[in-house]
Amino acid sequence: MKIRDIVLIGLFSAIVTGGKLALSVIPNVEIVTLLFMIYTLSLGFRRSILISIVFVTTETFLYGFSTWILGYYILWPLLIFATANISKKFNSEYIYATIAGIFGLTFGIYFSIVESFFYGWAYGLTYWVRGIPWDIVHGTTNYIITLTLIKPLTSILTNQMKRFEQV
Amino acid sequence: MKNKKLLSILLILIVGIILYFGYNTFLAPKGVEGLKEVTIQIIINSQNINETFTYKSDQEFLYELMKEKEDALKASFEETSLGNMVTGLMGYTANPASEYFHILINNEDSMTGVDEIPLADKDKYILELREF
Repeated sequence: MKIRDIVLIGLFSAIVTGGKLALSVIPNVEIVTLLFMIYTLSLGFRRSILISIVFVTTETFLYGFSTWILGYYILWPLLIFATANISKKFNSEYIYATIAGIFGLTFGIYFSIVESFFYGWAYGLTYWVRGIPWDIVHGTTNYIITLTLIKPLTSILTNQMKRFEQV
Repeated sequence: MKNKKLLSILLILIVGIILYFGYNTFLAPKGVEGLKEVTIQIIINSQNINETFTYKSDQEFLYELMKEKEDALKASFEETSLGNMVTGLMGYTANPASEYFHILINNEDSMTGVDEIPLADKDKYILELREF
């Protein structure tokens, strides 16, 4: 791995953590999904996966280790994987917004599956059902944020990356 | 292009609102109206506290009843993004780093917090201080 990759991964994972903390006052409204999609489109799959791993590991320092961390280690790389694959076939902000929306709307389901392994299916189901209103907020805001910001931000970051690679 | 985006955002907001109302109508826990007699037992073994209270109430959820009887239960709550959490009972405040109030409904573990526990006639709610 090149030194410039290490710098980029550290810098962009810090941006994700900062972005998440800045919006943490509004429950289930986040820009982490948007940032990971932008990173995948501008920085590439490999760097984005490493950024997501650094980001999730940083989360354990901030909030401690719990079962939801396992979900994070799976979900964010999964989003990056989905974005990378879809970007090969489509390049529409509506498609990305739809992915972000579905991702937010089904966020609770993934965690309820992880929780079920530890505490049983009854707990997992209750966990999901009681979180549905928040999943709706998550999915709706994810769609709107991604639809409005993905194109301009990806364009800026891609241009900056081209300049950075030339140095 | 801008109109298409606005229309799409408007559409998704409407879908979100419909889903939210659908949840509230079909899936959200519902309270039972009318007078109910319920029992609240508080167990804090480390302080040798084991108190039982019986109330007749029109309230629909456990939180509402506990809030109404806050003085008698010497209860304190913390509002979190996921709802209200019981932080203290009988004047004892749980250490957030290692303790919490575990809730049992008729001797079965509760799957939800006090906000979402509907009061039912003759039900018994046990709040026991436990360590994690």
